[in-house]
Amino acid sequence: MVVAEVRIELKEGVSDPEGANTQKALELLGFSGIERVRSVKAFEITLSESVGDQKEAVEEMCRRLLANPVIHRYSIEFK
Amino acid sequence: MSQPLLKRIDAPFEIFQIDLFSATDDQLESLSHELGIALSLDEMKRIREHFEGKGRLPTDVELQSIGQAWSEHCCYKSSKVFLKEFITGIDNRDVLLRGDAGVMRFDDKHAYALRIESHNHPSAVEPYGGAATGIGGIIRDVLCMGAQPIALIDPLFFGPLEIKHENIPVGIKHPKYLFSGVVAGIRDYGNRVGIPTVSGGVWFDDGYVGNCLVNVGCVGIAKIEELKKNSVGGADETLILVGGRTGRDGIHGVTFASAVLTEKSDEESRGAVQLGDPIMKEPLIHAVLEANRDGLISGMKDLGGGGLSCVVGEIALSGGCGAIVDLDKVPLKESGLAPWEIWVSESQERMMLSVKEDDADKVLEIFSLYDVPATKVGHTIQERTVTLIFNGVKVFEMDLEFLTSGPEYCRPCNIDSVSSDIEEAYPEELERYDVEILDMLSSINVCSREWVIRQYDHEVRGGTVIKPLQGLPGHSTHGDAAVLKPVEDSAKGLALSVSSNPYAVAIDPYRGSMMIIDEVCRNLASVGARPHSLTDCLNFGNPEKPEVLGMFREAVRGIGEAAAHLDLPIPSGNVSFYNEAPTGTVLPTPVVLGCGIVEDICRCITSDLKREGSDIYLIGRTQDAMAGTQYFMRNNGRSAKVPEVDLEVLSQSINFLIDNIEKDKILSCHDISEGGIATALCEMAVGGSMGAEIDLSTFDIGLRSDVKLFSESPTRWLVEVEHGTKLEPPAGVELTKIGSVGESSVMIYDGEEILFEQTVAEIECRWSMKLWEIMG
Amino acid sequence: MKREEIRICVLRIEGTNCEQETFDSFNRLGASPEIVHLKQLTGKSSENRKRDLLDYQMLMIPGGFSSGDYVRAGAIFAARIKSALEDQLRSFVERGSPVLGICNGFQVLVETGLLPGIDEIMSPVPRAVLGTNDSNRFECRPTYLVNENEGRCLFTALLPKKKVVMFPSAHAEGKLMFPSDEEEKIVSLLDDEDMVVFRYTDSIGNYADYPWCPNGSVDGIAGICNSIGNVLGLMPHPERAFFNFLSPEWTRRGGPNEFGDGWAIFESAIQYIEKKW
Repeated sequence: MVVAEVRIELKEGVSDPEGANTQKALELLGFSGIERVRSVKAFEITLSESVGDQKEAVEEMCRRLLANPVIHRYSIEFK
Repeated sequence: MSQPLLKRIDAPFEIFQIDLFSATDDQLESLSHELGIALSLDEMKRIREHFEGKGRLPTDVELQSIGQAWSEHCCYKSSKVFLKEFITGIDNRDVLLRGDAGVMRFDDKHAYALRIESHNHPSAVEPYGGAATGIGGIIRDVLCMGAQPIALIDPLFFGPLEIKHENIPVGIKHPKYLFSGVVAGIRDYGNRVGIPTVSGGVWFDDGYVGNCLVNVGCVGIAKIEELKKNSVGGADETLILVGGRTGRDGIHGVTFASAVLTEKSDEESRGAVQLGDPIMKEPLIHAVLEANRDGLISGMKDLGGGGLSCVVGEIALSGGCGAIVDLDKVPLKESGLAPWEIWVSESQERMMLSVKEDDADKVLEIFSLYDVPATKVGHTIQERTVTLIFNGVKVFEMDLEFLTSGPEYCRPCNIDSVSSDIEEAYPEELERYDVEILDMLSSINVCSREWVIRQYDHEVRGGTVIKPLQGLPGHSTHGDAAVLKPVEDSAKGLALSVSSNPYAVAIDPYRGSMMIIDEVCRNLASVGARPHSLTDCLNFGNPEKPEVLGMFREAVRGIGEAAAHLDLPIPSGNVSFYNEAPTGTVLPTPVVLGCGIVEDICRCITSDLKREGSDIYLIGRTQDAMAGTQYFMRNNGRSAKVPEVDLEVLSQSINFLIDNIEKDKILSCHDISEGGIATALCEMAVGGSMGAEIDLSTFDIGLRSDVKLFSESPTRWLVEVEHGTKLEPPAGVELTKIGSVGESSVMIYDGEEILFEQTVAEIECRWSMKLWEIMG
Repeated sequence: MKREEIRICVLRIEGTNCEQETFDSFNRLGASPEIVHLKQLTGKSSENRKRDLLDYQMLMIPGGFSSGDYVRAGAIFAARIKSALEDQLRSFVERGSPVLGICNGFQVLVETGLLPGIDEIMSPVPRAVLGTNDSNRFECRPTYLVNENEGRCLFTALLPKKKVVMFPSAHAEGKLMFPSDEEEKIVSLLDDEDMVVFRYTDSIGNYADYPWCPNGSVDGIAGICNSIGNVLGLMPHPERAFFNFLSPEWTRRGGPNEFGDGWAIFESAIQYIEKKW
């Protein structure tokens, strides 16, 4: 088995209400000195060895479902 | 397990025989503890006696099952005696069924199902998941009567939001964290499953710091001919388990709910908090209703507390049967579960259907379309026993009469708990009340709930005619009740409102509980709905303490007597005991959900002021009984005097009000509750973005100004009518013209003296911003 | 075509939850809506349940949380539609059949690439997104919209130009965004091509920010149509404004039993089909 870790993040310049509001919440809880909070989404995808081009397969998953190119960029790491 | 009494049975999986016969009393007690079943020594002895009669030892599966069935949560052993005495006997011809939910007649062809229950302990440990699964459970209770769920109602109780972290004991979570987690859980589950959350309430008090209360109610609509009982149709039916898979989540949830929270509850109980999946529930609702519409289901029941162990016995026995269940067939989340774990697991999103053998495959086909797992797991038999087979081995065989004959206690109960010896103390009278009223409007128990309400989808299903927030766009105010239009080709409406008053109940549980019934009825009447039925969730501390049980009994008596007098059946309900933490017991908190019927939704009215120049009337009499009022609590007032509800006057007043609403004579109406006339008038002004002027000297001349402003005495409303309209109240109902609508300020006089004058803009700002400021 | 012969496919998967009231809206107008599970269109159901998209005159994707909106709002529903029905859907739109997506349905239309649909039926990858509201919260509130369309969109034929209507909103992800480097250009193109259908306003029709615009959408856009004008997506819910008694203000304004603002959307589509076929 091979595990691919897919990380989906917002492109620079795209507003990130989840990150901004999480930062606000942390500050309300009394944490100080927070420069920035960014939200990031991750998926761990376990593939069987029988999948031929694993990198291409995961790329295709990102293109077809996991990321929307208007706001997202993604990175894939095999563990 | 270290118990010397456990003996492993020779089988290809883990199963034990338990040697109750040779056990000492100490061993019995520690056995109950180690198995996590929370049964008392006497109960353990009764079980031993039963098996001695059978001439064999029980298996762990059997003992676990009894533990579930006899828990407070499942068999109401401490409360039943009082519920029977005061509540369950209230009946009328509109009560159609009493099961997992109560069912009432709506019109000739339709019925509505109602139920409310608690999800307190899980929510205190894991607020997001706990609240979400609470919704899941109550929806299934309504669904298994054959009803489409159409509304959710969420009354919540927390410690004060602004309490300092250092004032919270170890192991207890901050109220702000709990509040935001619970609201998020309700939001994410309720919105996803597509049932509107139309009513609710949030109360804050020090008494809930250690143990928040999360109650959730659900109402559904059904065709009368499609209603189902929670029972099998007879022998030789197929039992189909539908919905989610079974896992270790939620094991011992009911025994967890039937014990007091401790400092360690956090770590120890995580396993007892379940995870919900609204996207399993949403198609489950469709599939169940479709199979039921096609006439394929004989009876069904929700898997809630106790999981399979409770549902199989109950659904079979209530149909006069028994059952054989093949535990291997139960779809699992993970392998390696012991049979007792499968049997008592409380994994979410599961229901049991009983169907005729010939219909089973048709049912499976419907569920497969919706991608909802459905599995035949057993069948019903004539004999009233339940037998479990696992890997070909019989691991369980119990007489249902014994299993479901949970104990019933008449525990010691001290009903002299009303502390009438409180020395009365009134706050100092002031010349002006501007500061007090504005502060009260922005206080946590009075301020606008918009922050919560706007996060819940209260309009999905497209039938919410009167919404929880009412008034001009951008100026919404609280309504008293929500109204739904549940049947497509009928103008009839179903009104819903929920009420509680822990402050008054804590001082005088009997009168305080009557106040709750009064409030829920006047809320319904406010929009033009005739009260029709009630359901309650009674949240109290440890019933083994006589003073707690005394409070409980008096509260039940108050609710029951009021409901009986008003001919309001309570066809379902829930009791939640053991709401205690190291910080103490919660305030005694009965919560009542009321359902009312509106003959024509187009006659409904709302609470926002409508027209410049119209007249304002006060319906009802103002009493000098200030115990438990927001005003006294905020200003260190002391009193034991909880006002008495005159039930006859309440009936007359409701009839008078509704008759006039139906004749289109009332423009707006708001009930008078927390914060008294002052708050009610300000809320009406905010919704209409219109001022008003009233004079308190028009009524009850002998009372102090502050009592007239802030009294929360029952059976009172403010109503707006077209200028010059004559209202003719019956003899018992007091009606006073106290002022008029107009200008951009709210002005309150007591004769010549002006007590309060503020612009509506200022009032709105103070009232509506508080929760946003705290919660962000 | 006779009204009762007009078949409308109200499409659902798990988590779709506004199908009943959407169905009711068409049913009240005398058309023949049917609630259809996606598996019925893709051949993954029993024989008697199988349906063909091209047998319907209109496709309706209702609101809800399809597949829980996990991954991204509407993304899973869109990916499932596209993988099994791409060609049929393309023909359906090409032949001029109306497609309406409300709330989650709008998110699905954007994720399939049917919207914005600028000079193409369906883009291979999404060209827009409905992102998380600026408030980072689910917002259930009355929203006011001005009809910006000059005539391209078939769904607003019965709605006077510049008329302000109230359709309630209820969503957490309704912020319309385009690739940031092209956003201005795309918005002005949409305006020039008459593809902007609704913008959020305050209750008297002035463009306005939060809370009137509940999500921070680019240029206050609430709904857009494709170049042909037969595919409309909007975040607010016209089916929740079908009758006046569903309006938050009806106890102030009267006329509870009259049609509400939302009626025009459904009636326009039915009349279009009646005339066209």
